[in-house]
Amino acid sequence: MTEHASEWLNAYLDGELGGLRQRQVEQHLERCAACRAELEALRGLSALLRETPPAAEFTPTGRFVTNLMLSLPRHPDASQPRKAASLGWWLAPAGLLGAWFFLRTVLTLTGVFTAADATGLLKQANAWFTGGQPQAAWFVAITSLFGSQMSAAQQSTLSLFNQVSVFGGDLFSGFLWQAAIVLLYWVWLAAWWFRHAPRPMKIIF
Amino acid sequence: MLATLPEEIEANLIEMSRQGDRSAFGQLVSQYQRGVVNVVYRMCSDVTLAEDAAQEAFLRAWMHLDSFRPGTSLRNWLYRIAVNAALDHLRRERETPADLETVRVADQANGPEAELLQRERSARVQRAILSLSAPNRAVLVLREYCQLSYQEIAASLDIPIGTVMSRLNYARKCLRTLLENDL
Repeated sequence: MTEHASEWLNAYLDGELGGLRQRQVEQHLERCAACRAELEALRGLSALLRETPPAAEFTPTGRFVTNLMLSLPRHPDASQPRKAASLGWWLAPAGLLGAWFFLRTVLTLTGVFTAADATGLLKQANAWFTGGQPQAAWFVAITSLFGSQMSAAQQSTLSLFNQVSVFGGDLFSGFLWQAAIVLLYWVWLAAWWFRHAPRPMKIIF
Repeated sequence: MLATLPEEIEANLIEMSRQGDRSAFGQLVSQYQRGVVNVVYRMCSDVTLAEDAAQEAFLRAWMHLDSFRPGTSLRNWLYRIAVNAALDHLRRERETPADLETVRVADQANGPEAELLQRERSARVQRAILSLSAPNRAVLVLREYCQLSYQEIAASLDIPIGTVMSRLNYARKCLRTLLENDL
């Protein structure tokens, strides 16, 4: 710090210094009478400014408020459509999510019933090897080319792989849908934030 | 000045005003009118101009209540709008409200001596503030009468914090010289 702390006294007085700088100013003030006097003068100035009432006579508050009330525009009417629009911003993504949950539920239930049907729980056990189950493309190709030469055990193993493949495919597609929905929702939230984030009022000279 | 409103009641009045309740907004105006007018008067030293700018400030506040962030100080928000409105008025008036003769030292002859001295001192203070340039005056008023932090002043005036500090230092230095006898 230079010989005197004048440069920092205003900020110190206003409580705007912190950490090391504040400690430096405090230490300097302990040993510098000139800076202490300057700080006191600044304190006195602030007190004078704040405690001196304006030498003017203003309109009484009651009359001011009455005059103001008469000139207030009808802002509440204008705010209603904004409220509706704001509600729309929340309803749209909620609707999107609802639609997706509905679709997923229908697909999952369909899958459960198909699997139950395929495994014979719905008394259609014969459909297990007769195309009643979903088949991956590679499974169709192998069974059509080599199906007649395969033993029952090989066919059973191949069918198991097919089940795993179809299930994995479903899982992957479900994941892709979820990722797409999440991405869309984020984009929506970002757009909403951009529209509604409060902006400080600027005073420009 | 009216007693300060409890936070909950003020928050309630703000919410009601947002929904278009004029009476609730009127109560908020009653609460802050004197402070806002005083701040604007410090900026322009003209009673009519100060009251016009204060009225404009409250109108802007009414129209932009949606942009007020709950949990922050309504008083500071109103003061910032008021200083903004005062600067707009000053620009329109080409910065010529500084008719120092209009700084009133009214009823000197009738009041007691103490009141007379107080009024004279008030007039000197107001003249000194008015002698500052508008940018320096705005920083000083926002700090001394609105008690905004440097960060808030910087955001309100769209200037760096370093500029806030240098303008405030300069303004106070000038005032200390001008008001030397009152300190």
